Amino acid sequence: MSPVEGGRLTDADRTTLVSVLDRLLPAVDDLSAAGEMGLAQEIEKRARRNPRLRSALISVMDALSLDLAAHAAGGFVGLDPETQIESLQEIERSIRDKFTTFLQMVYTVYYTEKSVLQRIGWTTGPVQPDGFDVDPFDEAILENARQREPFWRKTD
Amino acid sequence: MTQSSQDDQIADVLIIGAGASGAAVAWKLSEEGFNVVCLEQGRWVRPENYVTGDADWELRQLTDWAFDPNVRQRPEDYPVNDKNSPISPLMFNAVGGSTIHWTAHTPRMHPSDFRVKSLDGVADDWPLTYFDLEPFYDLNDEMMGCSGISGDPANPPRSPRQMPPLGLGEDGKKLVDGFEKLGWHWWPSDSYVNSVPYGDNRGACNYCGPNGLGCKVKAKASTDITYWPHAIENGAKLRTRCRVTQITVDDEGVATGAEYLDRNGRLRHQAAKSVVLAANGVGTPRLMLMSKSDAHPEGLANSSGLVGKNLMFHPYALVMGVFPESLESWKGPQGNIFMSQEFYETDPRKDFVRGYSYQIIRGSGPAWQARGGIDKPLPWGEGHHEAFASKFGKGIGMAVISEDLPEEHNTVTLDDHLVDGSNLPAPKVDYTLNTNTRRLLDDGIENARKVLEAAGAIDVIVNPLLRSGGWHLMGTARMGVDPEASVVNEWGQAHDVDNVFIVDGSVLVTGGAVNPTPTIQALALRTADYIVRERSELKSEPSPEPNPESITEGAAE
Repeated sequence: MSPVEGGRLTDADRTTLVSVLDRLLPAVDDLSAAGEMGLAQEIEKRARRNPRLRSALISVMDALSLDLAAHAAGGFVGLDPETQIESLQEIERSIRDKFTTFLQMVYTVYYTEKSVLQRIGWTTGPVQPDGFDVDPFDEAILENARQREPFWRKTD
Repeated sequence: MTQSSQDDQIADVLIIGAGASGAAVAWKLSEEGFNVVCLEQGRWVRPENYVTGDADWELRQLTDWAFDPNVRQRPEDYPVNDKNSPISPLMFNAVGGSTIHWTAHTPRMHPSDFRVKSLDGVADDWPLTYFDLEPFYDLNDEMMGCSGISGDPANPPRSPRQMPPLGLGEDGKKLVDGFEKLGWHWWPSDSYVNSVPYGDNRGACNYCGPNGLGCKVKAKASTDITYWPHAIENGAKLRTRCRVTQITVDDEGVATGAEYLDRNGRLRHQAAKSVVLAANGVGTPRLMLMSKSDAHPEGLANSSGLVGKNLMFHPYALVMGVFPESLESWKGPQGNIFMSQEFYETDPRKDFVRGYSYQIIRGSGPAWQARGGIDKPLPWGEGHHEAFASKFGKGIGMAVISEDLPEEHNTVTLDDHLVDGSNLPAPKVDYTLNTNTRRLLDDGIENARKVLEAAGAIDVIVNPLLRSGGWHLMGTARMGVDPEASVVNEWGQAHDVDNVFIVDGSVLVTGGAVNPTPTIQALALRTADYIVRERSELKSEPSPEPNPESITEGAAE
């Protein structure tokens, strides 16, 4: 495995990304882990469209490709889960800003996935045009606040 | 860039920027028969295209709909070198400007804000009073549409609001409990968000949440749907995707118009009898500094040397309370619940002057929560799902909006290296948070904790200074009576050039501790009123035919 060339992921990178996603967002209840859910493709697609996200993805993949433990195991996917986590933690420490941007992208793609939204009880479509129901304002709640004398500072 | 060509018609008034203040001026002057042309570097963004109608809206918030132009990087944006600032300036370039992106929380400044030197011995008094501005606040409320309720004891009495307040939501009611237990002031926010239908085909808020990404039902006021349709109907010409390169002047230093790059990259010139700058507190000083000439060697109207100085933000601290039960805190506009001004005025017992407001804020969608909300991202790995469940929909926040006093070393200048997509110099921001502001924010954080705990929060998360909080850009071409200590007079008219007016946040002498847009728009309307009353010689004979340019151009985008 070599550092990502030309900003595009190789097939090996894609396999690595699936494992990374599984470590970042593991299975819960009846939901698979994020990699197993097939989100790697969407993440790569989104990153291609935005320089900042692309840079973050490539930086993380580059760092993984240079990780010594991963080298010894023939790549990140060859590591056991505990070592994979340690490797990701090390990368998080060493390139914190890039990793944070990458993590934010991963979280955002994950929480746009319909099955994830269903599990957490959130609307599965866009927030418009339906919106949400909120009771109209009831002036009765102002009963105490209205009792206070004006206290704005006079200027003359 | 190709050679310059001259636009045919001489405008009575040329406005640079179609945002909050430029739109207000365009409407007022076109209403009074002035021949108005506006150049805007952004484009029309149609409400039907807002991303809240797309499933991936939370991702778009990270990319092409980000608040920060350095992140968004649209062709119409310009980069800002903010490496020497703990706060990033935010803005949006489009018809409507940053009102496309704002939450439309619209309190007014207080009378004391206009007299800080007299009252507290700091900064400077304004050359006008709150009550001079009051009728223009009222007019702006009517044009934009204000939800709220009169009777707030923290403010002078004001005219009836156009609409009742927005619903508080379960989260809002929860926090009201906290304030009431402490006996502290709270009051429903004035918001330019419709609680019931108001204006031209504008519906009521349906509490979708992220109104900072634009409002598809037009409940949130932005000037592309409030002022601009009326201005265009009056004959104002609005040219989009036109990036101004400099304000031009004659040998005497009098403004003659503006040179700009049109949508095809052609260099053109629009002649005008007067120029109104409305390009925000970063964009306006940038343009003035780019407009050097023999008559204005330090930049347009800069004999005082104060163009670009005294930059003020409203530094924000955010304090989020987490409650044990779900408050469904994604329901409703994020920043339009209520506010508290318990600590707005100077308290001599404290170690700082001036004060702060609390703007109560909600959570947002699930990705926003996972990304950390106001804090760092939630943990990844085995602990993620539990952490998410403990916070999502359970948080309500208090934004501490602090007054930020003007200091000359906080500046907007032209960057020596960074350029925009047209190879024009980008602005550079140098800003330091002063001790008074830090103390004020810390006091706000401590009192916010008390409120949240009184309301029953089980955890309190603090962001002591929000980097991505530079929504309010003020002070960089300040108003005053002394030409050596200010850039414009009380009417927004440049001391050095009597046919140049500035109407954006640049002119604010101080910033108060409230969201400034209603004040900026009221000042803009007051300047327009002055032009109508005192500068009638600028007005041409009325044009027999309304120019269809703006309408067709807008419809095409």
